[in-house]
Amino acid sequence: MARYTSAGYNSLVSLCSPTARVKVLFFGRLKEIVGHAEDSVELPDGAPIEALFSHYGASHPELARFRASLVASHNQEFAAWSTPLHSGDEVAFLPPVSGG
Amino acid sequence: MANSLQPDLLALVRDPIDQAALIQHVRAAEDGAVVTFDGCVRNHSHGRRTLYLDYEAYESMALGKIREIAAQIHEKFPVHLVAIAHRLGRLEIGETSVFIAVSSAHRPGAFDACRFAIDTLKRTVPIWKKEYFEDGAVWADGEMPPAPLETREAKPAS
Repeated sequence: MARYTSAGYNSLVSLCSPTARVKVLFFGRLKEIVGHAEDSVELPDGAPIEALFSHYGASHPELARFRASLVASHNQEFAAWSTPLHSGDEVAFLPPVSGG
Repeated sequence: MANSLQPDLLALVRDPIDQAALIQHVRAAEDGAVVTFDGCVRNHSHGRRTLYLDYEAYESMALGKIREIAAQIHEKFPVHLVAIAHRLGRLEIGETSVFIAVSSAHRPGAFDACRFAIDTLKRTVPIWKKEYFEDGAVWADGEMPPAPLETREAKPAS
């Protein structure tokens, strides 16, 4: 291409300092605490799910209190909190399930 | 095993569950037994009178987990077909929240599979219920799904 588009510039920046944009979902009481069901967050590529949770815990102390009773999911599978995140990933913090 | 012409019926629904349709779906000439589980909304919880329940789900993951349960049933038990429907949204007292039907040539497999289905669903499927009482509402105490151990190496992104 003859001219530098803003998209080209952004991709150069992300080569220098890779970031990941992930989709975050909240359910049940967590949705009530954060005030919405879905969010989109940019964080360093490869950051663990735990870091993403800390991001929300910092602004919602009540959320952080539930940490011990939560399970994380990564792309719709139960996942370890150490799972590294990449662009396009979908993460959810799941309270104890009570279906049936 | 489920055949491709009439596979298992697995669904999340917002309208009342048609139990007869689920039984009809799994029942075939080669079956000698159909075992069903009807999970219904109770009018009390922890000594308080329940007015109604509201169910919500991580729908895509919940359906995936229900499909995993059906696949596990076909691996573990000698059954023919499985139908599992879970309802979401507001449910009144007495309404069916979950219905499971399993068909088999012989009853032991169908009994065992049906029990496995509801026990596993209650532990692993991301669905939550909020209980409404005369003086407030609470999210029901739930079960912690079995999460991967933190010491295990994290699964790479697919």
